[in-house]
Amino acid sequence: MNATALYGWLAHGVVIGALVSLLPLGGKRRFLGMAAVPLAWFSGLATLLHGFVGTPSVTLLALAIWQIAGRGPSPLGQRPAWLVIGTAAVLYPLALGLGSFDPYAIGYQPWPLLLAIGTLAVALLRCRREDWLLILSAGLAGYAGGLFANLWDALLDPLLVLAALAVGAGQLLRQRTAS
Amino acid sequence: MTLPRWLAPSLFALALAAAAWRAPFPAAPAFVPPPPAVTDPAPSYFSSALLPTAAPSAHAAALAELADRRIAAAWFAGTREGAADVAVWYSTLGAAGWTAPRAIATREGTAAATLAYARKVGNPVLYTEGKRLHLWFVSVALGGWAGSSLNHAVSGDGGASWSPPTRLQTSPFLNISTLGRAPPVALADGGLGLPVYHEFIAKQGEWLRLAPDGTILDKVRMVQERRALQPAVAVFDERRAIAILRDAGPGPGRIRAATSDDGGQHWPVATALPLPNPNSSVALLRLQSGRLLIAGNGTGNRNQLLLWMSEDMGQTWRLAQTVESDPDDSAEFSYPALLQARDGRIHLAYTWRRQGIKHAAFSEAWLTGDAR
Repeated sequence: MNATALYGWLAHGVVIGALVSLLPLGGKRRFLGMAAVPLAWFSGLATLLHGFVGTPSVTLLALAIWQIAGRGPSPLGQRPAWLVIGTAAVLYPLALGLGSFDPYAIGYQPWPLLLAIGTLAVALLRCRREDWLLILSAGLAGYAGGLFANLWDALLDPLLVLAALAVGAGQLLRQRTAS
Repeated sequence: MTLPRWLAPSLFALALAAAAWRAPFPAAPAFVPPPPAVTDPAPSYFSSALLPTAAPSAHAAALAELADRRIAAAWFAGTREGAADVAVWYSTLGAAGWTAPRAIATREGTAAATLAYARKVGNPVLYTEGKRLHLWFVSVALGGWAGSSLNHAVSGDGGASWSPPTRLQTSPFLNISTLGRAPPVALADGGLGLPVYHEFIAKQGEWLRLAPDGTILDKVRMVQERRALQPAVAVFDERRAIAILRDAGPGPGRIRAATSDDGGQHWPVATALPLPNPNSSVALLRLQSGRLLIAGNGTGNRNQLLLWMSEDMGQTWRLAQTVESDPDDSAEFSYPALLQARDGRIHLAYTWRRQGIKHAAFSEAWLTGDAR
């Protein structure tokens, strides 16, 4: 077992814990979320999820920790959610073979991606989004530490996209109800 | 608790600098050129035999020559393709013949090592690099072969023991649909170029550039006009190589080809070879004489296994030998693997009627019909 596999398994346990803490369980949500983490590790649920969806991104792990810790509203608000959805809408179809250009390959020698992230960081700083600056820092540190061969994987994964879709769908639903 | 304003930007700058320090900046890729062509003086000979049976259904053999000159074979076998009991089996050919097959990759072992559920394993690829023997194989968690992930293990003792497999991250979406079939080629920087393929939604050949430590440095598409799979590569010199691919249809196919003039950085579309391909795997080998050898199926189905040879770096091809032929259209002799050992002997392993793996050994004189 290498460090990436261990990270993936541990992180999926935390993600499952965060999902449990989202359930309508009243005042015990946080406690049950935390209790679900070791349960997910040792029941095989984290292994199963790891097998199906691969290594989770550091972004997702950071959001899951935020959720379990109950540190206020999730940083995955509407604007970040739509940015995640938009990025995935371009990255996934192209990476899965639509056309001749594979943007995922950029992540192996990620100089253009680092430049884009640097630019995004300037915008985040101007908007005073220190939470996302810290989350991006964690992703970059995960890549720098060798957990990921490809920078894309440190930043984005399908479960994160699903979470973003849930946030986006919730917003659309609220807008529709209000109108 | 409120964090000081300078903390987040400072941490970000630090992380960005660390990521930039880690990001590879490799030199332009180049192949290790093949040694100068030499003529094989061996007389004409051919022999063949089935490998010892590992399980009722066997498929997709791979070959390598070990440091001690033994020939190693790996294939997947079980009760049927994709069954839960399918494992990657391994056997070596020494003075006493083929050894009893031994399972070297199972779905349970792969799941335990990668901490990820694996439903089935398949498609081994072997490659000897000095005293190290590499094994790549695929594992699937969900769905068919299109959902495969690539795993890698190494042996330092000729296949007696193996490192726990690690999973290569090759796709952003569930890490699916990267499969291997043909061996890698050596790169000048000490790394390897591994031909792989993708078959979820699109079907195309791909090229993984690996650093000497096995890290992926680049991934390149071999874009074709038709769906094409399972590239096999032969190198001409530092810059030039040819890849041949299985024609994945639709309709009757021909062996597809792609060439690179820049060490594998690009594989532009090339014309199809004038050789049939009934949507089946092909093997390619550059012989010590400089000739190219292809093993693949004829027209119709997989009931003929043929060898074609080219004397002009793949410009023209001629049928050299028929290895297997059965009038029964349902007979299958497929998924060939080719290897030329250091003693000049050419080895061919292939799926024999899905019941086992057959190995053939022959000389170049047998291929050319030269009765020396």
